[in-house]
Amino acid sequence: MSGKENGKKENKAREIIENYDGPGLRIMEVCGTHTHEIFRLGIRQILPPQVELISGPGCPVCVTPADFIDEAVWLALEKGVTVCTFGDLVRVPGSKMSLAGARAEGGKVQIVYSPLDACQYAADHPEEEVVFLSVGFETTTPAACLSLQEADRQGITNYSVLTANKTMPRAYEALRGSADVFLYPGHVNAITGTALCKSLAEEGISGVVAGFTAKELLAALAIALKKYQEGKPFFVNAYPRVVSEEGSPGAMKLVDEWMEACDSEWRGLGLIPGSGLKIKKDPERYDARVRYGVPKMEGRSNPACRCGEVLQGKCLPTDCPIFGKACNPLHPVGACMVSGEGACSAYYQYALR
Amino acid sequence: MCVGLPARVVNMKDGKAVVDASGAKREISADLIENLEPGDYVMVHAGIAIAKITSDDEEETDELLEDLL
Amino acid sequence: MEEKGRVTLAHGAGGKQTSELIDRVFKEYFANPDLTGDDAAVLGLAGGRYAFSTDGFIVSPASFPGGNIGKLSICGTVNDLACMGAKPLYITCAFVIEEGFPMEELEQIAASMAVTAKEAGVRIVAGDTKVAGKGQVDGVFITTSGIGLIPEGVETSGSKAVPGDLVLVTGDIGRHGCTILLAREDFGIEADVTSDCAPLAGAVKAMLDVTDQIHVIRDATRGGVGTVLYEIAEQSEVGVSLDAEAVPVREDVKGVCGMLGLEPLYLACEGRLVVIVPEEHAQAVLAALREGKYTGSAAVIGRITDEMPGRVIMTTEIGAKTLLPPPRGELLPRIC
Repeated sequence: MSGKENGKKENKAREIIENYDGPGLRIMEVCGTHTHEIFRLGIRQILPPQVELISGPGCPVCVTPADFIDEAVWLALEKGVTVCTFGDLVRVPGSKMSLAGARAEGGKVQIVYSPLDACQYAADHPEEEVVFLSVGFETTTPAACLSLQEADRQGITNYSVLTANKTMPRAYEALRGSADVFLYPGHVNAITGTALCKSLAEEGISGVVAGFTAKELLAALAIALKKYQEGKPFFVNAYPRVVSEEGSPGAMKLVDEWMEACDSEWRGLGLIPGSGLKIKKDPERYDARVRYGVPKMEGRSNPACRCGEVLQGKCLPTDCPIFGKACNPLHPVGACMVSGEGACSAYYQYALR
Repeated sequence: MCVGLPARVVNMKDGKAVVDASGAKREISADLIENLEPGDYVMVHAGIAIAKITSDDEEETDELLEDLL
Repeated sequence: MEEKGRVTLAHGAGGKQTSELIDRVFKEYFANPDLTGDDAAVLGLAGGRYAFSTDGFIVSPASFPGGNIGKLSICGTVNDLACMGAKPLYITCAFVIEEGFPMEELEQIAASMAVTAKEAGVRIVAGDTKVAGKGQVDGVFITTSGIGLIPEGVETSGSKAVPGDLVLVTGDIGRHGCTILLAREDFGIEADVTSDCAPLAGAVKAMLDVTDQIHVIRDATRGGVGTVLYEIAEQSEVGVSLDAEAVPVREDVKGVCGMLGLEPLYLACEGRLVVIVPEEHAQAVLAALREGKYTGSAAVIGRITDEMPGRVIMTTEIGAKTLLPPPRGELLPRIC
């Protein structure tokens, strides 16, 4: 192994970061997994004081509004549907209860690793009605579409999805001005490619596509700092082993076949036109909202919670009046505290205070 | 946003791949990647291969850094 | 379903069939001079200090690679006693069995208990059996209680860690939690991992033979090593400085954790102790552990400090410091 050599390179990136004496800047890690890894590795501890990292809205759990949870709880308790979900969503508070709460009241909540497992569960349990909670960005949406394709192919009739899928392009526009440099979410770019990032650079929005290991993150940050000092808007793909220019055309085609753009509510950012996805193909069968006639929920979040501003980089988690008090990882109030990758959770769990 | 795990393809069958990440094996969907073969490395997310990856280390990142300096 | 070969409600009704079950399964395996037909065991205990503990066991599935609930129920209580430095002496066990539970599996469970008890040097001296209706329990639940003699001069407690002490773990972590996760087959992942479930009274004796100046011994069961470190940090009002890279974790356990987004430090172990000793004894204790049957991969993983009492601070792979996220309940796999 070339561990030693890599170690040297890592030190090089680290040197650049630690010795950075250029102008102050705000870097937004758009992706929640970046937030999580940056905290886990202690990267904030080695940044010079004028470099500020802001945690962006790239955690599907955090930006999913309370009424989505309410819909899922309604399906589980009122319709007796088996709700299949990623583990991430189980503890997210809805207006009245979380899915963990619904499970305690007798609702059937099944944790899955993949939407394909949810579809398989439906195939194995023909007597149950199965709904997969489809959250996520461009990276995760193709998996949900594959599960629908599989249901279609196998003629599975007891499977549908409740969509809260989101797409990033409009969100970047909404976030314009929140940061000087974006650390782009590598696994989203693995699907979408880098064309958008390039055109954003032409409009003056700088960014670096970053990977997720210590070396990849340090390299991306070092590149961001070096390039920022040059004074011109820039774009660099610092995750070339996974991210190509064209992304995954197959994945984009698949999503296009099954889903279409819709307006979408982002917790914290509000309604962003065209930033969501809903089922296009046979919604009576595959869109749980249509299939079960899910009523419109008026999700209520705790008014003291400042997750919205946290997600836009307008305030730090520690500025929120309930942070660490009424709102903590064991009793989360806002979504940013629920998800392990939420900014508040990361601050609470990892920050050396 | 998306936990990804690099893994090695050990077996291919009907659009499904069995991948191995440090001894943890799982069947995943290979629908999105053309011409996967045993021995290839992929990035796995939520039970699907989202990208074929060039190697299992970060050489390319190193090269990038090299170019920059 | 064939009734023969399965536990029925009649087996728990206290009549002839109950005696048959006890004779056939429990007496057969547990026989020893202190296990009599009377209502309670009568024990002759010498003067001194005793550790006394009880623990309930529910695990699904009841049998898993590397053990079963029977072995677990003996190890759990034996290890709890050993954590106080005690030599485990006697154990009792109570079974709640689900109607329809396979007799053969029950026998395997009893056999494992007997083997494990023998290895740990404890006698099973009393027991109880109840049968609950189908669906009222999941398979079989076992509660064990045990008592053990603490040698003179030995005083371990979660409140005795002092700055300067070193933190050891007696083997690679997270295998039991990982094994159960895989055995439940919820996530379709396969790996060649077996539970670390093991009785550790021998390991504790080996350490005490080196020095009786062991400050803390704690069994890292549910909640894993991370939870135990936080408990000790709070109880002793000290900081724990953890070297993330020194924590022994098998590659395949790391692989499973990577797939599911889990932290190995919070996976359950059933045969791993966290040991805190003064620095001058640490290497000798470590050497003794590495000779042991179940503790060959023991390692020093950190140090007790006076910084940030109540917290566990990790030195990460890039040499920076960060807080180990405090424990937070049910382990949920994550995609983001």
